Formats: sequence, structure tokens, C-alpha cells
Amino acid sequence: MAPQVTRREALGGAAAALLLASCAGGDAPPGGGPRPGSGAALFGSLLALQRAAVAAYAACEEVLRGDELAVARAIREQEDAIAGRLAVVLTGLGVDPPPGRSREEYARTFPRLRSAADALHFADDLEQRQLRAYLEALTELPAPGSRATAADIGATQAAHLAAVRLLEGLPAAQGPFVTGAL
Amino acid sequence: MAGRSDRELLEDLLALESRLVSAYEAALRRDAVDRSLGEALLAQEREHVAALEKTLGGGADRNPRATVPSPELTGSLRSRAAFASFAERLEASAVTAYAEAASIIRDARLRQPLGSIMACEAAHRVALRDARGERSLVV
Repeated sequence: MAPQVTRREALGGAAAALLLASCAGGDAPPGGGPRPGSGAALFGSLLALQRAAVAAYAACEEVLRGDELAVARAIREQEDAIAGRLAVVLTGLGVDPPPGRSREEYARTFPRLRSAADALHFADDLEQRQLRAYLEALTELPAPGSRATAADIGATQAAHLAAVRLLEGLPAAQGPFVTGAL
Repeated sequence: MAGRSDRELLEDLLALESRLVSAYEAALRRDAVDRSLGEALLAQEREHVAALEKTLGGGADRNPRATVPSPELTGSLRSRAAFASFAERLEASAVTAYAEAASIIRDARLRQPLGSIMACEAAHRVALRDARGERSLVV
């Protein structure tokens, strides 16, 4: 039997492609000279992810209305603030934050969002991948202070994911362990 | 939490989880939380307790289970709105505690799993706010 790909999976796959492209060289590398082992490269990747998320929510807002639109806007504003926070972190590590792409460049990599359901599925997948990235960073960042930053932002992404899931009519928490159990 | 051993960090988290379990058990007994929501949150907190106990290898050095409800918990059981506010504060404490533990625990293999529980507690906060009719984001 030929494999079937659901619309949700297709949207999720597109989101994955977007995020991988954002983190794997699509954006300019951080400028300046990072200290070896500082975690600057990882923070640079997380910043690229954040900027893609801001653009993604802007795309979602075009098809959302009412409460859903209000939540998406609030999340986009917080994602933008997190991007600013990461740029400050990079500067503190001795790295010039990369410039990022234009909104149009990001938009070309997004799936076509025809409905509110499409947008919420896209946002759900985006938040899951962001959350996973920050939790993975906990094992990779060398300094406790850097890990605290990743954990704090990860908690915010978890709240975003929960808010999106509620809009989808799903339970806020998908399970006791979001990306891996003890 | 800084300067504490990994075991002490995990025991502190276990104590916090036990408070959450006690709170949801009491709320369900007193109908102070929507049954479906309360049972879902309680089941997940119990999973966290079991995971922490397993990681500690059984026999935590201290008995974290509170046997007498705190006055704050007792007071919160008068209404669903009051309990949701109380539980949200408790969940917020858990998010903070897990974030700190995941950052400073020495055993790097435990950082991501602790982060995954932190994410679950953050989602619980959102669920409790939603139960109170609040759609504002928790950050």
C-alpha cells in the first residue's frame, strides 16, 4: 500500500523543512569572533529559529480571526522579544548577531495556509520544534547561565504550545514528558 | 538551589511534585476543579513523581509527602476559581524549580528530561488559566 500523507503531516513536514533551513545555513552565520565552547553557535541557530517563528506567526495571522488571532499576535510579540534577548546574549558572547532574512524570504518557505486549522497545525508543529530545540540546548550549552536562559525560554515556548493546543481543541499538555522521560 | 547535590535537587523536585499531587487529590475530592482537567493534571503529576522516585533509586532521604494540607490549600478549596489560582501559583513554582534544576544539575543526562517536565508544568499553568476563563499568555 502506498504511504498516505495527511494534510497535517504535510504541513508539519513543511514546517520542519523551514526550521531546518533556518538553522542549517540559510541565514548568515554569526559575525565576530565567538569564544570556543561559548555556545555562541548554538545561540545563533536558536536566533535563526526565533526569527523564522516571528515570520511564521505573521503568516498565520493572515488567516486567523478573533481569539485565535489575538493569541497568535501575542505569541508573535513574545517570539520577537525572545529574538531580541538572544541577540543580546550573542553580543555578550562577543558575537555580532546575524542579520536574518526578510519576511518575504521566510514566507517562501512556508506551507500555504488556507484556513485557521492549517495555521494552528503549523503553529503547533513550530512550537514543538522550538521547544525541542531549547530543551536539547540544555544538554549542549556549556555554562549554567546559558542553560538557564535556554530553560527560561523553553518554558515560554511550552506555554505557547499549550495555548495553541487549546485553540485546536486539544488538552494543553500533550503528556507528562514533552520531549523525553527521566 | 545552587551548591546542592544532584540528589538534593531531585528530592526538592519530588517534594514539589508531592504537593501538586496532594493539591489535585484534595481538589477532586472537594469538587474544586473540573473533574476531567483535575484527573488529567493529577495523572501527569503522578507520572512525574514516579519518574523522580525511579531516578532517585527509591528511598528518598526525606519523606516529602505532606500529610496535613497547608492553610493556603484548604482556603483555595472553597471555589474552583480560588483553587485554579492556587494551583497556578504552585505550577509556576514548579516551572521555576525545574528550570533552575535543569540548568545546574551536574548529570547532563538529566537536563533534558527535567526540561520536559518543566514544559509540562508550564502547560498546566496555561490550562489552569484557561479554566478561569483567561486567555492571556503565561510567560
